[in-house]
Amino acid sequence: MNAVQTIKLTKEFDGLVAVNGVDLEIKKGELFALLGPNGAGKTTTIRMLCCLLKPTRGTASILGYDVVRTPFAVKKLIGVSPQDTILSERLNCWENLALIGGVYGLSSDEVKERSQALLKTMGLVERSKDQVRKFSGGMKRRLSIAMALVSDPQVLFLDEPTLGLDPQARRAIWEYIAQLKGKKTILLTTHYMEEADSLSDRIAIIDEGKVVALGTSQELKTSVFGMRNMVVSTGNLTAEVIADLHNKYSRVAISKEKLKISHKDLDFKEIVDYLHSRGVTVHSAALEQPTLEDVFIQITGKQLRE
Amino acid sequence: MRFWQIGIRNLKEIYRNPVLLGFLLGMPVAFMLVFIAAAGGGQASPIALRIVDEDQSQNSTAFIQILGSVDAIEVKEPIYSEGSQAQADLRDGKISLYLLIPSGFEAAAQAQQTINLELVYKEADPMIGLQVKPIVEAVGSEFLGVAPPLNVELKGTESRIKNPAVNFYFPGIAVYGLMILISTAAEIIAGDREKGFLSRMFTTPARPWDFILGYSLPFIPVLIVSTLTYLGVGMALGLTIVGNLGYAFLIFFLIGLCAIGIGMIVGSLVKSASQAGVSWLFIVPMAMISGAWFTVDRMPSVLKSIAGVLPFIHGIDASRAVLSGSALSAIVLDLYWLAGWAVVLFAAGIALFRRTMVS
Repeated sequence: MNAVQTIKLTKEFDGLVAVNGVDLEIKKGELFALLGPNGAGKTTTIRMLCCLLKPTRGTASILGYDVVRTPFAVKKLIGVSPQDTILSERLNCWENLALIGGVYGLSSDEVKERSQALLKTMGLVERSKDQVRKFSGGMKRRLSIAMALVSDPQVLFLDEPTLGLDPQARRAIWEYIAQLKGKKTILLTTHYMEEADSLSDRIAIIDEGKVVALGTSQELKTSVFGMRNMVVSTGNLTAEVIADLHNKYSRVAISKEKLKISHKDLDFKEIVDYLHSRGVTVHSAALEQPTLEDVFIQITGKQLRE
Repeated sequence: MRFWQIGIRNLKEIYRNPVLLGFLLGMPVAFMLVFIAAAGGGQASPIALRIVDEDQSQNSTAFIQILGSVDAIEVKEPIYSEGSQAQADLRDGKISLYLLIPSGFEAAAQAQQTINLELVYKEADPMIGLQVKPIVEAVGSEFLGVAPPLNVELKGTESRIKNPAVNFYFPGIAVYGLMILISTAAEIIAGDREKGFLSRMFTTPARPWDFILGYSLPFIPVLIVSTLTYLGVGMALGLTIVGNLGYAFLIFFLIGLCAIGIGMIVGSLVKSASQAGVSWLFIVPMAMISGAWFTVDRMPSVLKSIAGVLPFIHGIDASRAVLSGSALSAIVLDLYWLAGWAVVLFAAGIALFRRTMVS
């Protein structure tokens, strides 16, 4: 049985299709990322899986329980950290955790024990008795994730867990998520490529409500599209050469004497020879592995970041 | 017991929020202090009352004597024997208020017929008449209800209310204070929906009734604490409780339930905590036409009928009556009305709040 399974999952709002026939199969213990730009339908998908929105068409189930027919069975199995950090602002860490733990039916001893462990993992012990409205964004996010974990859920939904955080706080949260890998089934949404790249077992790239690519990070970058990047450091590029390169290759970007060429089955020697033949000085040239962003642009023709 | 967790959380969100508490407790207390101080407070100087005694009977003289024994008014000598003299003095600005005891007062009193007393005041100062009117009414009805000799007994009854201004203003301001629960409840519910807290909680196994109870029960201790605070301040300011405090508490409790019900309705209909501010558009006019701050005896009949349909004026009138010594039978209709409204408003609040949970 899959931890999360959707079949042709669709959500329309007043005729606008937010999620369009999404098929997902997430195995138990897998860390799965939904990667896509803002408005791609990631949060809507999560909201349907958490029983907050009824699908217009299609089905979704968590560990075999249908989200529409058996929402309360589903809710007992899941933990959710919403995109906006939503806490009870005038409660402290313990009280926020106790609220969620209590609603899941844990005894106060269980709540206390788990809270203690979670606060330690999330580095919140020192401020645990302060009202959370005084916390920084990073601390709030860590507590929000702890709240999603306090019921020891089998399936964890993390909707943009690092959105709006500074790089340091983001890295800290990645570390916590990495610790959970293999222990929980995690569905994470993000529009940060590095996040999906470094954390997930598999990635689904989602755009305009549709899954446009699915696989491991490595599969997406290489085998599926065979995209390769080459970076050339040059001295005397002419407009003519640039135009020529644009015609021949999928993507050509120039910045500060650096030429970046992306193309399927790109031939290193062919490019160097061509540049030499046109009298362009080549200081250095190297092949680079494409990033998920390259993959995304290749598939959708759009930038991932706003 | 999931509702308990949600309820405890909401209670903490209220009592740890100084702004909400300031509105709920601070504002009514400030109103009491200001209104009662403006009315003269404990050291109110008595209102000078001139009297025209056209009856010149034993009965009328006794009545004047009793009026003279009331602390809040000071009967000024000499007593006029004709209305025209008093009218002239009023016109000339020598006096500002007089009470006319018509000839036939004694005869009518003995025959137990209706007696029309006239309280004439200077046009420029209508408040003075309004202040004295209830006192004259109270003394008059007591006087006429008891056969002479009556002085001793009457003095006892009348002196029980030490400070009429406090007994007049307290019930209105207490009811107004409880009406503020409308905005508190609306703000908590709308705020939690706006910020997504409710959405987050909807991903947990909590059921609709857990939310309904969790978002209504916590207001009950708040309502009790508010009522006790108002009563405490009122008594410190000189509120005299002649009647049954338990009935007064019941009336305030029912008013509080009505307010929570309206708050749940508003909180379910508006989109954000700031929009919940619209509840003030309801609270202030309703408090005004229900007589929370001043007497509404002379309000146009249209407004009177609107106020009469709504629960608040019943809460104010009934609590004022019961605190001043009226029996249960005198307020039982008000109680039924309030209980009916409390049930209707709570049910509507629950229905609308429940609707917000279904998407």
